[in-house]
Amino acid sequence: MKAYAQPIKRLISELSKLPGIGEKTATRLANHILKAQDEDVRKLAESIIDVKKKIKLCRTCLNLTEADVCHICHDKSRDQGIICVVEEPDAMAAIEESGGYHGTYHVLHGALAPLDGVGPENLHLNELMKRINGGGIKEVIIATNPDVHGEATALLIIKMLKGKNIKVTRIATGVPMGGDLKYVDKMTLSKSLEFRRGM
Amino acid sequence: MTRESFKTDAFILRCLNYSESDLIVTFYSSEFGKLRGIAKGAKRSKKRFANVFEPFSLTKIIFSRHRPDALAFIEACEIIDHYPDIRTDLEKTLVASYFADLTDNFSPEGKVNIKVFELLQNFLLLLGKEKATEATLRFFELRLLKVTGFEPALDHCAQCKIPLTNGNAYYFYPREGGIKCFACARPERYEEPLSAGAVRTLLLGKTMDLDKIKTVSLSGALAAECREMLVSFITHLLGKEIKSMKVMEQIRRMGLP
Repeated sequence: MKAYAQPIKRLISELSKLPGIGEKTATRLANHILKAQDEDVRKLAESIIDVKKKIKLCRTCLNLTEADVCHICHDKSRDQGIICVVEEPDAMAAIEESGGYHGTYHVLHGALAPLDGVGPENLHLNELMKRINGGGIKEVIIATNPDVHGEATALLIIKMLKGKNIKVTRIATGVPMGGDLKYVDKMTLSKSLEFRRGM
Repeated sequence: MTRESFKTDAFILRCLNYSESDLIVTFYSSEFGKLRGIAKGAKRSKKRFANVFEPFSLTKIIFSRHRPDALAFIEACEIIDHYPDIRTDLEKTLVASYFADLTDNFSPEGKVNIKVFELLQNFLLLLGKEKATEATLRFFELRLLKVTGFEPALDHCAQCKIPLTNGNAYYFYPREGGIKCFACARPERYEEPLSAGAVRTLLLGKTMDLDKIKTVSLSGALAAECREMLVSFITHLLGKEIKSMKVMEQIRRMGLP
């Protein structure tokens, strides 16, 4: 990096702070930016600043949004009586992409991780309870990841909702569509047998 | 240069994200003690590393390394037991996480101690079968301290050496790693005494058969005394609080059914 002028060195150093970007990739990206049109570079810089300036958490579901309330919570055609609880906004985006769900969401922004010191106080569970206590909720779908952290979070939410007279469901676990059973891991296969369904 | 491959049974203690798809895994093996290794592409893996690096799971790991002190390169890993009975119970998951956390904190890297491996294995099996009780927690702590060389001296006064006597009050001093009788301790008003009953329960828990732990009812003041003593000792030894213990307490304070 010694051979580069100071502003390029600075750009490489900033880019290499991004996840998955090492010094070599950062140098390649910096060279690409140098060669790009002024207009494109300006758009890139503006979009980065815009994201930081304009994006906040939805007042209702804590999804990332530009307005006070996100477009999903705002959409009256969706079933406002169902909340799907997810760990992160990208999980919500994945469910939305599937096109099979038409209720609302609640984003926890994490999962219980005792070994990392992430407890209930670090998750947006109080906001979820406030929504539920506000009335009108008939079902809560827990869509946290099917790993130790996600399962522990699901168990905690189930305990918190005990006695609330709300249907609580957990997303299914099992073999993926189009998959080949001989390549499915042991744990997933045993879960798929445990949660088999009648036809 | 070729690297020799090793195969060992190991408990997964901790995983750390490294780059886009790799994981740095800390595991406690029966033959090599605590080790850290890199699992390339583990986060995206759907076959080789699918569901294997879950905290406190017992696995069979194949790894290689250039030097004994180098980061291991994890070549393959398969699950032996992922303790489903623990994973489907919140309290048990918290306790098992605490066991893994303590094991990690009290184990220097590369030091083989089969007793630590067996202790973790036995207590996870017990946790799978029985309810997670205060006695299970305290007896694990005590036994781990014992097998890692930090056993507190509880059967006599650290100063006058007079053996533990029923009915007397004692004071525990983390810095000295033992109890003192009232006469030797000369306690300040704010210091909480430790009853001989609490000390005796802990002494019992050091060697008691695993099957009998479920019969020990450690509750109320006795449980609080034992907890205070052991947790303060562990915090003193490590110079920090155990994260998983803090999370467990946060959840207990919620008073959930």
